Amino acid sequence: MPNQNGTVYGLTILSPIIDDERVTPSHDLQIRRYLASLPTDERSPFALAPGTHLARLVVMDDVIYVGAPACEEHLKSKYLVFETNCDSDLPDYISGLAERVPEHLDAVWSHCVGYPGAKDKSALIAYMQACEIDTTFFFAAVNNKTVPESLRALLTQRAVTDFIVNHQGMAQADPARLQTEFMRFAAELKAKPTPPAGASRHDAETAREIKTGGHNE
Amino acid sequence: MSNINGKVYAMNAITPMKPWKTWILRLIFFVLGHIKPLQNDLINLSFIEFARWVIVPRRSFPALGHGQKAEELKYDYLLFFSNFNGTWNQYIDAFSAVLAKGLDLIWRWSEKFPGSVPVTIFKEYIARVQFDTDYYFTAYPYATANDLKAAHIVQANFDDLSAKASGLTPEAFADAYLDFVLASQAHLGETGQAPVVF
Repeated sequence: MPNQNGTVYGLTILSPIIDDERVTPSHDLQIRRYLASLPTDERSPFALAPGTHLARLVVMDDVIYVGAPACEEHLKSKYLVFETNCDSDLPDYISGLAERVPEHLDAVWSHCVGYPGAKDKSALIAYMQACEIDTTFFFAAVNNKTVPESLRALLTQRAVTDFIVNHQGMAQADPARLQTEFMRFAAELKAKPTPPAGASRHDAETAREIKTGGHNE
Repeated sequence: MSNINGKVYAMNAITPMKPWKTWILRLIFFVLGHIKPLQNDLINLSFIEFARWVIVPRRSFPALGHGQKAEELKYDYLLFFSNFNGTWNQYIDAFSAVLAKGLDLIWRWSEKFPGSVPVTIFKEYIARVQFDTDYYFTAYPYATANDLKAAHIVQANFDDLSAKASGLTPEAFADAYLDFVLASQAHLGETGQAPVVF
């Protein structure tokens, strides 16, 4: 199935935006204004609902004219493009959003044609299915890990790095102590909660100063 | 509006295609999807977290009634969504240098596509067909695709050692620990702040 790559689902939704000249500001501008106010960190609706690796929302005003000799043409509606890479298929993923962040779904999609509201879950899923466009080709660099697995692996990577740095030479000098400390470290690490999705800062315990930086352009 | 969140850039592009050419592109994607070695260049570039191409046939734009006017289009449209690490210029440069043949094979069916080499004209075309992202979320903004791959390798090595640690003598554990360090040391990179882009 082209929407699926390993365990990751590539969902693409095009929702036509209501075109009503009596409404000011227009519905597309209202969507843009709301999206501009949404946090993108761990308070993001996509962080609060389960299973989003990356997601974007884009107001597509029109198709693009590439110049003569191509024909110039225009869309009759503007579309809200919802593109997400997630851990489950459309019904489960949309259900998760409807359960955890219904107010955000309503705030964005209430400006779209035929949106039934987040309360009626089966109508919502049917609506999203009607707006879904099948992916033709889907590439994923890591396609067999869930969001919590990836967040935990990143936590483990940082903690293991510190452990190795702090125990250099101990394998030869005192293997029994190394074994004891490793087992304690492993138990403590497993007991730690999975870091929240979308958080841009590392937790204070593992934070380190950045040693490099500068331009990359 | 922002195309960037942490270390990831969201690119959106849309290009028109004559409908009969769409079928050729579908065939190319079918082959690309089923013969994995053909994806090696894309995988080895290693700074793309997720990417997708979506062909929207001219009569397949969602039409939901409620007074919405049906689209009347001559072209099918190819949508391209990419989530990559680094800057726009780095991305297009790398695409042009490494994936020129592959890109040409995909976009040559789009109207007015100039080819991916030379890169200046290619960049002009991409800039013309690109549209900006209004909202962009990533679950791990401080990590690149390579960070993720590396972290999962460290996690697997760590789980292996953790599972057998208590059943080993201290000397055998020391050997296993050194093997673990050797297997993991190339995957312990720093995941710090995103580079500043000017």
